[in-house]
Amino acid sequence: MKEKKLQNCGKCGLCLNACPVYKILKEEQVSPRAKLHLIKAHDQNTIASSAFLKEIISKCLMCGSCSAVCPSGIDHYSKFMEMRRKMGEAHGEAPAIKSLIYLLAREYRTGFGAGLARTGQKLVPAGLAKKFKLGNIPIKNFPELNPVPFRKAHDEVIFPKGKPAGRVIYFTGCATNYLYEDTGDAVIGILTHMGYEVVIPKTQTCCSIPLLFHGAKDRAMENITANIKALRDIEAEAVLVDCSTCGEALKNEYPRLFEPHDEHLVAAQDIALRVTDIISFINLHFDLLQFDPDITGKIPVTYHAPCHTRNTFSSHLTVEKILQAMPSVDYRQTPDSDQCCGGGGTFFYEYPEVSKKMVDKKIESAKAVEVSHWLTDCPVCRMNLAGNTEKKDGLTVLHPVTLIHAALKQI
Amino acid sequence: MLNTEVKTELIQIVGAAGYLDRPEELACYSYDAFVEEALPDAVIFPKTTDEVSKILKTAGRYKIPVTGRGAGTSVCGAPIPVRHGIVLCFSKMDKIIEVNTRDRYIIVQPGVVNADIQKALSPFGFFYPPDPGSMNSSTIGGNIAQNAGGPRCLKYGVTVDYVLGLEVVLASGDIIRFGSKNIKDVTGYKLSSLFCGSEGTLGIITEAILKVLPKPEAVKTLMVTFDDLDNTARAVTDIIGSGILPAAMELMDQLTLNAIEDSANLGLDRNAQGALLIEIDGVKEACDKEMKKIIEKLKENGAVHIQEAGSDIERDKLWTARRSAYGVFAKLAPDIVSEDVTVPVSKVPEMIRRIIEITERYGLRVGVLAHAGDGNMHPMIPADKGNIEEWQRVEKAFSEIFKAAADLDGTLSGEHGIGLAKSAYLPLVMNQSTINFMKKIKHAIDPDGILNPGKFV
Repeated sequence: MKEKKLQNCGKCGLCLNACPVYKILKEEQVSPRAKLHLIKAHDQNTIASSAFLKEIISKCLMCGSCSAVCPSGIDHYSKFMEMRRKMGEAHGEAPAIKSLIYLLAREYRTGFGAGLARTGQKLVPAGLAKKFKLGNIPIKNFPELNPVPFRKAHDEVIFPKGKPAGRVIYFTGCATNYLYEDTGDAVIGILTHMGYEVVIPKTQTCCSIPLLFHGAKDRAMENITANIKALRDIEAEAVLVDCSTCGEALKNEYPRLFEPHDEHLVAAQDIALRVTDIISFINLHFDLLQFDPDITGKIPVTYHAPCHTRNTFSSHLTVEKILQAMPSVDYRQTPDSDQCCGGGGTFFYEYPEVSKKMVDKKIESAKAVEVSHWLTDCPVCRMNLAGNTEKKDGLTVLHPVTLIHAALKQI
Repeated sequence: MLNTEVKTELIQIVGAAGYLDRPEELACYSYDAFVEEALPDAVIFPKTTDEVSKILKTAGRYKIPVTGRGAGTSVCGAPIPVRHGIVLCFSKMDKIIEVNTRDRYIIVQPGVVNADIQKALSPFGFFYPPDPGSMNSSTIGGNIAQNAGGPRCLKYGVTVDYVLGLEVVLASGDIIRFGSKNIKDVTGYKLSSLFCGSEGTLGIITEAILKVLPKPEAVKTLMVTFDDLDNTARAVTDIIGSGILPAAMELMDQLTLNAIEDSANLGLDRNAQGALLIEIDGVKEACDKEMKKIIEKLKENGAVHIQEAGSDIERDKLWTARRSAYGVFAKLAPDIVSEDVTVPVSKVPEMIRRIIEITERYGLRVGVLAHAGDGNMHPMIPADKGNIEEWQRVEKAFSEIFKAAADLDGTLSGEHGIGLAKSAYLPLVMNQSTINFMKKIKHAIDPDGILNPGKFV
């Protein structure tokens, strides 16, 4: 539903210290408050459109932390997305961002994997990677592609042993589908261990958040309606995501994109109600988990809370609670576990110098608590954290489900 | 934009990265949380006292206005550069220089955020009492320049009570240092009182030594609702009058309560006509005893519902909601004016009655919010500045509210400062000789008037 509530920024400035970019740069123009001011000034023609204006507007992780603290209830996402669209149209996108949008927009029709296969098992076309150095992440540190896309490698319906306790839909997202099959395997392992029947609709596709955040709304809509069609008619008690950004799309963005009378609105709202992140779902049914009593010793572990996990699902505290309750884990909190890592979709590529400062701080604190595993439930955070740590740091970055799954009793 | 010669000179001082003057950037330093806007010609980010001194020398030579800024959360327009010129932004001069809880002080640069001071002190079991609503964003330089207050200043006092010493750069570029690391210090004039609340018109603060306190062992927080606003206000004067000094006593009327509830979903009673958020702290046994007395007084004044925060999380929720009150009003209209007239606490019920009478007479909505325990009222009027007729009514109403406060032995501002918002009303609470005295001080140290011109002095 499109919100038509008053959207006035009282300029109170509470968003400043919530904004990860402001906290690093300490310059008002990058703050959420300033971006709203510039958008308004641009609408009123007191500030002209310019490449520099585009740069300021896109110096943003789209993490939603500003909206989460905003007492005036401003929907920053919609305002920023619309402005990004205008700026993208007027001043173009960087070639690498264009390629990403192109690939993701084609995901539904041709499969993203086909495009990537040609590039030799790497996430990003080698030519581009070399030329643009991909932000601050050394190319060798990028994850390899799954040998076969996850959804292709699995049946559409996976049954647990015995009579199912219930049925859930698994929205895998592109990261699990193409890069992190270990996450997907763990999700299925945990759900079937709990006795759930898991449906992985074949026709699901990219959630389109990257397209929306880069202003390519028109190209995003085809993916979005495909997803709604793929999810709406399956009876299931929950639509589960292992990526909180896909979750943010399904839960908050989809219903906002349709006009009141659009045929897809009701379905989008119904899906939104059923969307849950895998962590909250595990927590809800924690009593169904049987941990393997033969595992001795505790793995020292810390956690990085992704922005969308905090701001969309508030499940970062749940992760910590689960880790503390697990017999095989020695959970060690870092004081900045809830601070942004600077990954932010393509932010690490677009603003490497800002992103690098953010991630380096995180790595220092993770090293200080002396752990072997660093868990995070967002694939971009994972890519960013893993990509910026070195071998000698001794940190394996994983989704929390992988450790949870490994601790379960075989049944 | 400044001419090339000046610009080159300034860039030589701070480097190109510390100097902004593109229109997209300047627009973002034209505002604070007040309703006015004015564009600077340049924004400069100094990192050292020496740079500030050099900048002021250059600005003085060319007679360019210089307006200090921290996070721009002032609600009276203090950092708005109404005469243009340079905005000197301290957000990057943000080092905590020394934390010394043995001697009970902390030394900070002006750009340190208030909440970061609290974070630095917390592991040692200490805190810095002034807690303005903006404390998560606002900088200590701004807090000092505005002599900021906050809810718990009822018990603990305001910023000026915690400034032990300052380093200040004068308009001439001279660097002065006064005060010391000592809690007691009567060496010469108490200059910190002069610069606290000077709103950047006398000098630029570049370092501060602040007094800190050990955290109280126990904290108790109550949320109380009433079915009558007058009773709510009387409960406040009764509690304070009986000799109890809570850390904070926040009063909210129905409009405020509902605005907060809309954004925070705390389960507050939307039908309540008035509410109090009361916090007491200290030794546990003393807190229990005070709490008993407070509850007695609340009941005598017809409190309907009294609820104690059961956990730190619940307590944080209540305070987050209270701190967001200013922002939630932005939902009600395009603009919002929040004032902070202050009256002796025994006059709080009468002041509230007058605020309501005045705003009703002008056909305006008003949210009455107050740090009621110290008589610091925050009437908030949501309105549309674009609607000239309505805006005139807002201005007239506020002018009458100021007069009413003056009648009740009150004052114009308890903690926001004068800025652009209230300079015209100074004569209500100050005679001409006093205003002239302030002008003489200003003229003596800033003869060309380059520091934050266009404000109250």
